[in-house]
Parts: sequence; C-alpha cells; structure tokens
Amino acid sequence: MHHAKQSGKGILAREIIALVNPIKAISPECPVAEVAELFLGPDYTQLLSLPVIEHGRPVGVISRYRFMDMYLKPFARELYGKRPIRGFINDKPLMIELDQPLAEAALHVAEKMQFPLTEDFIITRHGKYLGVGFVMDLLKAMELRMRANTDELNQAYTQLKSSQMALVQSEKMASLGQMVAGVAHEINTPLGYVQNNVAMGQEIFMQVRNLLADYEALVDKLLDEQASEEQIAAQMQQISAMRADFDAQEMLGEMQGLMVDSLYGIDQISELVLNLKDFSRMDAAATEAVNINACIESALNIGRNVLKNKVEIVRNLAELPKITCAPSQLNQVFLNLFTNAAQAMEDKGELTIATWFADAALHISVTDNGKGIAEEHLTRIFDPFFTTKPVGEGTGLGLAISHQIIQQHGGEITVESHLGAGTSFHICLPVAKSERRLEVVAA
Amino acid sequence: MSKPTLLLIDDEERILRSLRMLFFTGYTVRMTTDPHEALRILRDEKVHVIISDQRMPLMQGSELLRLAREASPATMRILLTGYSDMEASIASVNEGEVFRYLLKPWVGEEVRRVVAEAAAIAEASFAVQSNKQVAVVKSHKKPRVLIMDHEETTARTVHEILGDRCEIVWASDVQHAMEELARQDVSIVVSDLMLGDTNVGYILKTIKQLNPQTQCIVITSFNDTSRLIELINQAQISRYMPKPVSKNLLARYLEAMLERFHALSAQPALQERQAVAAISDPQEKLQSRNFMGLLGRLRGRMTA
Repeated sequence: MHHAKQSGKGILAREIIALVNPIKAISPECPVAEVAELFLGPDYTQLLSLPVIEHGRPVGVISRYRFMDMYLKPFARELYGKRPIRGFINDKPLMIELDQPLAEAALHVAEKMQFPLTEDFIITRHGKYLGVGFVMDLLKAMELRMRANTDELNQAYTQLKSSQMALVQSEKMASLGQMVAGVAHEINTPLGYVQNNVAMGQEIFMQVRNLLADYEALVDKLLDEQASEEQIAAQMQQISAMRADFDAQEMLGEMQGLMVDSLYGIDQISELVLNLKDFSRMDAAATEAVNINACIESALNIGRNVLKNKVEIVRNLAELPKITCAPSQLNQVFLNLFTNAAQAMEDKGELTIATWFADAALHISVTDNGKGIAEEHLTRIFDPFFTTKPVGEGTGLGLAISHQIIQQHGGEITVESHLGAGTSFHICLPVAKSERRLEVVAA
Repeated sequence: MSKPTLLLIDDEERILRSLRMLFFTGYTVRMTTDPHEALRILRDEKVHVIISDQRMPLMQGSELLRLAREASPATMRILLTGYSDMEASIASVNEGEVFRYLLKPWVGEEVRRVVAEAAAIAEASFAVQSNKQVAVVKSHKKPRVLIMDHEETTARTVHEILGDRCEIVWASDVQHAMEELARQDVSIVVSDLMLGDTNVGYILKTIKQLNPQTQCIVITSFNDTSRLIELINQAQISRYMPKPVSKNLLARYLEAMLERFHALSAQPALQERQAVAAISDPQEKLQSRNFMGLLGRLRGRMTA
C-alpha cells in the first residue's frame, strides 16, 4: 500500500509541491489599510495577490490590481481604511489540490485564468491552505514535463525505427533463406552426382590399377626366363579371377559416361553461382544504369526452383532504355512478385511478364492466373505485417518492402485482382531525361 | 540367393546413372524418371528397396512412396532429396513411412550400408508375406499409451478417442515419463518434442532401440526440418503432427498405430522394418546411454 502510494500519486504530488510558496495568508478581518502596508512590504513584493483564509481554509484572494483600483480612488483610505478586507476580495480564487496531476491542474488554471494576469493561485491540501503558486512556475513545470515526454517519444520512436529495421532485415533474411534453400536444392542435385561420380571414378581407378599391375606382372614373368610354368599359370589364374569380378571394359565405358555427366553438372553449378552473383550484385551497392529486362531474367533464374514444374512463363519484353537504379533491390521486388504468384497457384498456372516504355516511364506488369486476392485484402496488401499466409510462413513484409523500394526509385506499384481469375501487379519507373534518349538510339 | 532388386526414381537421369554405378555389383538395378513406370515395376517385380527423389514434376516423392506402400508393402522405402522443406519431411513420415530420409549430396558408403540393411529386412518381409498361416493373435492385455506432454490437452484428447480400450498414462515431465517407461513397455507413445525445457528426442530414440514395436506419434509446435529428419532416421517415428492437433486425424493415426502394434507383436520379423539408425548427436548419445542405464536399474528394482 505504502509503496503503491509513493510510486503512484506521490510522484505527481511532488510536481505540485514544487510550486508551493508558503506565503503567510491574511484573515478576512484584516483592515484594508493593513493590507496596503503588506502589499508594500518586502515579504509580498513577488505576489500578484494575497491569499485570504479563515479557519485554515481559503476564502478568496485580493489582487494588487484590484486593491489599487479601489484604494487609489479619492478618499479611499479614509472611506475604507478601517473596513475588513472581506468586502473586497475575489471569493472565487483559482485553487488546485496538492494531489492533483500537474496536467490537470495546469488545464484548470489555464481555463479559469483571467487576462491580464492579476492573481496567483492557491494550493490546498485536503481543502486546507498550503501556499501560493505562480502561474509562470506552473507553465515552466509543464514545459519541463512536455520536454520529458518528447524525449520519451523520441526514444520510443528510435526504438520503433530500429525494430522496424530489424524486421525488414529479418524479412530480407527470410526471403534470402527461401532463396538459399531453393538454390541449395538446385546445387545439391548436380553436386550429388558429381561427387558420387568422382568417388566411383576413384574406386574404378584403384581396380584398374590393380588389374594393370597384375598384367604387368604377367608380362614380366613371360619375359623372365627363370619363371616357371606354374608361376605363369598362377598369375594368369589371378588375372582371370579379377576379370570375373570386374569387367574393366564395361566399367570404363560406364565411367566415361559419368565423366560427361560430371562435367555437365559442374557447368550447371557454375551457372547457378553466376546467377546468384548477378542477382545480388553485392559489389554494386550504389545505383547504376541497368536493363530492367536483365533484372527480370535474373530474378527468374533465381526463382527457377519455385517456378519450374508449376508455372508457365510468358515473356512480353519490349526493348527498354537502361535506367539508373539499384538492381539488387529491384531483383528482390521481382523475385517477391514471382514467388507470390507461384504461391497463388493451386496446381499449375501461367505467369505473364510484360515490359514497355511509355510516357517517360518504364512499365512492368506481372500477371498470374492464380486464385486472386479478396477485395478486403487488396487494400491492405502493401501494409507492413499484412499476410494471409499461415503464422511463421510470411512476415507480411515482402510487398511492403517492394513498395518501399519502388517508391525510393520514384516509381509506383499498383495491384489489381479478381478472385478466382488472378492478380496483376503494375510497376511504373520514371526514366530520367538524359536516359530517355538512349531509348531512341536503341529503338 | 539371387541379387536383391533396387528401384531408383529421380527426374534427373544423371542422378540415376550415378547411383546405378554405386550399386553396380551386388544388386539388380532398375531405374526410371517416371513415377508411374516405377509403380508398374513395383507391382510386377519383386523390388527390395526403392529410392526416390522428393521434388519431381509428375509426382512428389512422398506421394510415390505412399502409393508404393500399397503396391508392394514389403519393399523398403528411402527418400533421397536435395531439398528438405518441412512439408515434404512431414509427408515422408505420415504418408511415405520412409525407412530413411537421406540428403543430396550423399556419402556413397553410407547409402550402400543403408541399402544393404534395407534389402536384408525386405527379404525377411517377403518371407513373412509368403507365410500366410500366422494368425494375428491379439493379446488380452490392454495396450498401454503413454502421453508425454507438458499440457493436459493432448492426454484429454487421446482419452476421448480411445476411452477405456487402452491404459492411458500422462506424464507431464521427464522424470515421470521415465518412471512410466521403466514400469512397463508401452504400445504407443504420443509425445511433444519438448517436455518443459527438455528436448525428449533422445528418449524417443532410446525407446525405439529398446522396443521396436512401440509406435511413436510426435505432436509438436516445434518446427525444425533437420531435427525431424533425425527423428525419422534415428527414432523411426511413425507419425508427425503439428500442434494444434486435429482430433479426427489423431484418432485415425491412433487406430492405425494400434493395428500396427498388434501386427508387429504377432510378427517380430516385421519389427526390423523400423530398425533405427545410430544416434548421431554426441550429447544425445550420452543421454540415451544414461537413460538406458537408469531404465535397467529401475526395472531391476521393480521386479525385485
């Protein structure tokens, strides 16, 4: 209980308590002339108004302004000097409770405050007079509070920003993981037979070497005049036993075929590695002039694993001017669109990729005949974290990142979809003036 | 004895040619890129071992192996794949009921060893198949089902499915599970992979070493393909279900496993079909050895 109070209201009360000036209040019976003395005295010079209390409870304030207004009238001293101040006070003073939250107190004061500012406010604890507060101090306290809030907000913003970066990174990693898994399969198949063929070659090599050694031994014995008939017969026996086990001609014939296969496999692996390098362009972080059609081909190569056997690809690629862009990022966008399309197909489907140049911009459309996207999903499709995939399968950032990448290129990505008929994405990338001329040359 | 027959299926002919070389001596090798052709061979010829790729344009390997189970139940099924996604791995357990899940690129000697083991087991299965006179003797003792799960839900669902046809024991921690396993052999284990914060893979692997007819159903929210592949090869788990579990599916699996448990109890020769590979993880190997020692001591005390 005690702790709760300290950590809860206690902190807020401390904010108000810092505003309290324990000014000695006056009684309502205090004569006007005496109040005039007090206003002039050194203890009250800071004050706009004097608090008036009765039995410990505030009953009003008398402001310097109001007092002067009354006291500077002709004969006022004579007329009112002996009268109690009670008749001249504002009996609805601005009051705040010690326990009140600072913001609430500030709001209250701001609402009731009169301009020009002629009164201070009274601070009470459980209704009893505690002291006087200055409006300026209250404003200062509020400003401090706001600054603290802003700091907090800034901190929260920075944290959000960094966790968003982390998420974007994890999406990149997820799509990278997907890609690596796909490429791993592509590589593991040729690697599987190439490795096995080499191991087989080694086994056969050993056997052929043994056989050759036996043949050489036979030749040596035949040439050796000292060798006996038995020795020669034994050697021949050994050779024919080996030949029964191991048909060298057949094995070498087989092996020759496996060598051809192996070379083919190694070519395939090299091609895959080249594709990967093309795709990522790790060495070209900065933007460069690129043919978008080449980017599309590169993404298709990398996505081959997901696409093959499932997706029929139709290319309608027009000749395009090169544009300055970050190719690795655009590759990522294309791969994302292609794999999404493949995933939208129940069994098999068609993916149409078209590019054209019009209105000073490159246009790319990626159209599938998959299951389509429901209308209520379509509006959210570029939202971060929006996904219709099962938990754990998609982060819902793929298209959000694609959207961001296209935006950073000054372009636009839009989507159109019909349930059961398919989905079409359209990307438009502006072409800089200097680059447009290239198109004329190319065309 | 004639050479055992090996059937190879892959959409890449170079893989087939390469594998044929690996089994050039000692086997009759049949190979095809067409799964339907493979099924025809299985029906027409006595095939000891089938090795299939997973990703093929005409049919997934796990699907082919499911059909192979029907076409030739005695044939041992092996999957050889270069791509191990979760879905394919689960299908290879639940549908393909594979003996081994092997990865490309492979180690020649290991594949030769696995195939030799599988061929010998298949030969024994063919012999049992032709000995039809053995009736399935159902023991009068109630089958015992052990549920190893931190949450009670699984135990409750199993109870709803099986009622009092089986003795159902629920262990929510490792200690309790070990005691129950020591007390008496179990027919079916339904287990999560994590019990509290203990990975119980080694327990499943050990159970299968000690008691091959015990059938393991793994129910888990834990998704890790390489761990699953390990459990296929080293624990020969019979079914794998992601949480939350469909009650209908679990009911179907439990019935199938009860039936298999009875069949294996009646035909010990068939138990070898679920022979496990040695535990590969050194720490799990140690845990398994300790667990076996503990079981021995506990059982000794209980019978004393």
